[in-house]
Amino acid sequence: MAYFILKRLVQSVFVMLAVAFLAFSLFRFVGDPVSQMTGVETSIEDQERLREDLGLNDPFVVQFARFTGDLVRGDFGFSYRTRQPVAEMIADRIPATLELGVVALLISLIVGIPAGVYTALRPRGALTQTILLTTLVGVSIPTFVIGILLIFLFGVQLGWFPTFGRGGTVQIGGWESSLFTLDGWRAILLPAVTLGVYQLTLTMRLVRAEMMEVLRSDYIRFATARGVPYRSLYYRHALSNTMIPVITIIGLQFGGVIAFSIVTESVFQWPGMGLLFLESIRFVDIPVMGVYLVVIAFFFVLVNLIVDLLYVAIDPRLRIRDLA
Amino acid sequence: MGYTSTLRASVMGAALVAASVPASAETFRWASGTDPQTMDPHAVSSAPVLSFLNNIYEGLVRRDRDMSIEPSLATSWAPLDGENGWRFNLREGVTFQDGAAFTAEDVFFSYQRAASEASDVRSWFAPVSEVRVVDDFTIDFVTTAPNPLFPDSIANFMILDKGWAEANDAALPARDAENFATLNVNGTGAFTLGARDPGVRTTLVPHEGWWDTPEHNVTEGIFTPIGNAATGLAALLSGDIDFIQPIPLQDIAQVESREGFQVLEGIETRVIMFGFGHEHDRLLYSSDVTDANPFQDVRVRLAAAHAIDVDTMNRVIFRDKVDPASQLVPAGISGYSEANSARIPYDPDRARELLAEAGYPDGFSFGLKCTNDRYINDEAVCRAAASMFAAVGLNAELSTGPVRDYWPQLREDDFDMYLLGWSPGTFDMEHPIRFLKHSQDDERRLGSWNFGNFSNARVDELLPMIQQELDPAARQAMIDEVVAISQQEVAYIPLYVQPLIWAAKDNVDLTQRADNFFMLRWVTVN
Repeated sequence: MAYFILKRLVQSVFVMLAVAFLAFSLFRFVGDPVSQMTGVETSIEDQERLREDLGLNDPFVVQFARFTGDLVRGDFGFSYRTRQPVAEMIADRIPATLELGVVALLISLIVGIPAGVYTALRPRGALTQTILLTTLVGVSIPTFVIGILLIFLFGVQLGWFPTFGRGGTVQIGGWESSLFTLDGWRAILLPAVTLGVYQLTLTMRLVRAEMMEVLRSDYIRFATARGVPYRSLYYRHALSNTMIPVITIIGLQFGGVIAFSIVTESVFQWPGMGLLFLESIRFVDIPVMGVYLVVIAFFFVLVNLIVDLLYVAIDPRLRIRDLA
Repeated sequence: MGYTSTLRASVMGAALVAASVPASAETFRWASGTDPQTMDPHAVSSAPVLSFLNNIYEGLVRRDRDMSIEPSLATSWAPLDGENGWRFNLREGVTFQDGAAFTAEDVFFSYQRAASEASDVRSWFAPVSEVRVVDDFTIDFVTTAPNPLFPDSIANFMILDKGWAEANDAALPARDAENFATLNVNGTGAFTLGARDPGVRTTLVPHEGWWDTPEHNVTEGIFTPIGNAATGLAALLSGDIDFIQPIPLQDIAQVESREGFQVLEGIETRVIMFGFGHEHDRLLYSSDVTDANPFQDVRVRLAAAHAIDVDTMNRVIFRDKVDPASQLVPAGISGYSEANSARIPYDPDRARELLAEAGYPDGFSFGLKCTNDRYINDEAVCRAAASMFAAVGLNAELSTGPVRDYWPQLREDDFDMYLLGWSPGTFDMEHPIRFLKHSQDDERRLGSWNFGNFSNARVDELLPMIQQELDPAARQAMIDEVVAISQQEVAYIPLYVQPLIWAAKDNVDLTQRADNFFMLRWVTVN
C-alpha cells in the first residue's frame, strides 16, 4: 500500500512538471507583464530595464528552468502585481476555495442523493418530472448566469443573503474560516449552490440511473419475493450498492469543483484562489499563474489518489488483488 | 475666470459642509473594479494606486474638486530667483500618522525615493536637476529649463516619512519583491490604513492629527474590489455597499429606476481616438493594397476622419453620454485650443471624393486594431467605426483583444490603424503633445506613445518652447499652432471624451473629480 501511494506521489511530480511546462509555454501569449506593471509615463528604457531584471528577456527554457528550480527549493517567487510572496498569497486564498468546494459538494450530496433515490423509485411521478426538468434547466444555464440570477433574487430583491464576499470569518490557526459564524454561512450559501448545481444534477442522475439498474437486478427481485420490507430493501440493499460508482465519480469531480470555482468566485467576488487567478491573468502576473496551475494540478493528483484509496477501502476485491 | 469667485464658492461650500456634518459615526463602504496593487506611493504609477493613496498620503500641492491646484504640504510656491525651478514653502506643524513631524528632509527623502531607478513615477522628475533643502520648511526644486507647469505635474508626488521608511527598510520602492511600505503606510493625509487584505478588503480610518479641517463624517471607510460589474451593481442595490465606481452605461437606467440611489455622471479627461501607421511603408492587413500605405496621404486620412459619424456613435453606443472631441484634450483642460474646437465633420461624400483624388476610387482594405476591455464600449465603437469606414469604401478588418496584449502589438508596429484613449496626466495639453505628437525619440523620452510615429518638424520644435514658456498667451498661441497642424495633417482622429459614471446611495454626498479619483475626505453620509 505504501508503495502504491509513493508511486502515485512520484507520478504527481511529473504531472505538475508537465502542467508547469504547458502553462509556461502559453504565458508568452497572455500578454506583456511589464506594460501592466508600469504607468503610461514610464519610459521605454525603464520598462526595458525592468524586463531585464525580471528575466523576461531570457529564452523560454531558461525561464522555465528557473521557475521549476525555485519551486523545488520551495521558493515560489513574488507576484508582479502586488509584490507579495506568491506562496503566502495562494495559502491565504486556499481556505476560501476549499470551503466553498466542500459546501458545494455537501449541498450536491444532501440534495442530490435523496432526489436521485426518489426519482428512481417514482419514475413517472409528477414531482419526479418536475425535479428532472428543473435540474436540466439548472445545468443548461451557464454558471455565471445562475450566480447573477441568485444574487438578484436573494441578494437584491429579497435581501436575505449578502451579494458578495465571505461575510464574517474566524481565524483558526492559519485557516480563515467562514463556517463558524452565521454571517459566514449566509455568505457561502449562494455561491455554494451556484457551484454545486452541476454536481447536484450529476449526482442525482447518477444515483437515479444506478438505482434503477440495481432495482432491476436479480437479488432485489429475489429479496422482494422473500418479502424484505421496502424500506430495508431500498435503502440497505439497493442504495449501498448504488453508492460505489457514485462515490468514485463525485470524488473525481471534486478536483474539478476546486479548479472550476473560478467563475463562481468571480461572480460572487469570493476571495479564493480562482479569483486570484483571474486577477493574475488580467495583470499577466506570471509567477502567480504558474504556481496556481501547479497547485491545482497537485489537487487533482491528490483527489485522484484519495479516490483510488477509497475505492480500495470500499471494494474488498481490490484489496485481495493488491495483497496477492 | 474669476479665481476669487471660485475661491469664495469653495470656502462657502466648505463652511456649509462643516455646518451640516452630523455628529454620528459613519461607516462608508465602497467598491471599484481594481484593487490598488500596492500601498507604496512610488512603486506603481497606476490610477487605482494613486487614487487610493491620495487618501493616505499627500503631496506638496493637491487637486481641488475642480482639478485646480491648491496648497497642501506646501503653503506657497514661487519660481526661483536667478535660476530655473521652484521654491516650495512647507506647512509647519504637520505630523505623520505615526506622530513624527513633517519637515523638508521628508520631502527631500521622498524625492530621492520617487526619482530612483526602482520607482515607477520617476518620469515626473525628469526635468529636475537638483533639489536643495534650504531650511526645515523651505525646499528648492531646480529644473534644467524654465518649467511653469512643474507644481501641477507633481500633484500626485506623495511624501512619506524619512525616519519611518529608513527604520523599516523601505528606503526604496519595492520593485520585484515586497517591502514594509507595500502593506504599511505612514503619510500625512486625512486617513490612515486600518487593515489591509490585498484583493479582499482594505479599511481606512481617520488620521486624528490631520492638519486640515475634515469635511467628511466618515469614521471608517471599507474598500472592496469587485471585478465583475454585475456583482458590483447588485452589491450597491442590495445596500451592501454605499458607492461604486464606475458602473457600465447600460446599468444607469437600472440604478435610476430604484428609490434611494443616485447616478453621478461626468466627463472624464480621456479622449478616445484612432491613430494611423504614419511611418509604415505598406499596409499589413490589406487584401488589395499591399505595396503602399495609403494612410501616408493626408487626403486618405482626412477621408477616414470625414467617414466617422460621431453623433450616431454617441446616440447608439453611449446613450448620448459622451462629448465629441476635436483635439486630444477635452474643453476646460488647460491648453485646450478654442481656436480649433471644430471637429472634422461627418461628410461621407467628401470622403469618397478625397479617396478618388488620392487614387483609391474603389477604396481599399486595411486592419483596424482595438481593445475590448480597456475603454468604455471600446469594441462596439470599433464595430461601428468599421461599418462607417466601409460606407465610404474603407474596408476595415477589425481585430480586437484584451489590453494586456495590446500595447506590445502596437509597440511592434503591428497595425494599420488603432484605437487609443489618452488622459493627460498633467491636465494640460502639453502632455498629449509630448507623448502622442512629438516624433518618437527614446533618448529624450518623447513620443513614447506615438505608435505610428507621426512626425512634424514644427511640432517637434514647438514642444520644448511650450514647455518653457511662462507667458500664458504666447504659450497658448504655440499650442494652437500644434493643434492646427495636427488637424490639417489629421495626425489622429479624435472621437469623443469618455464619460465617467459612478453610482451611490442617495444619502451619500461625494465629489466626482474628472480624473476619476475618489477622495474619501469629501464624503458625507447623511
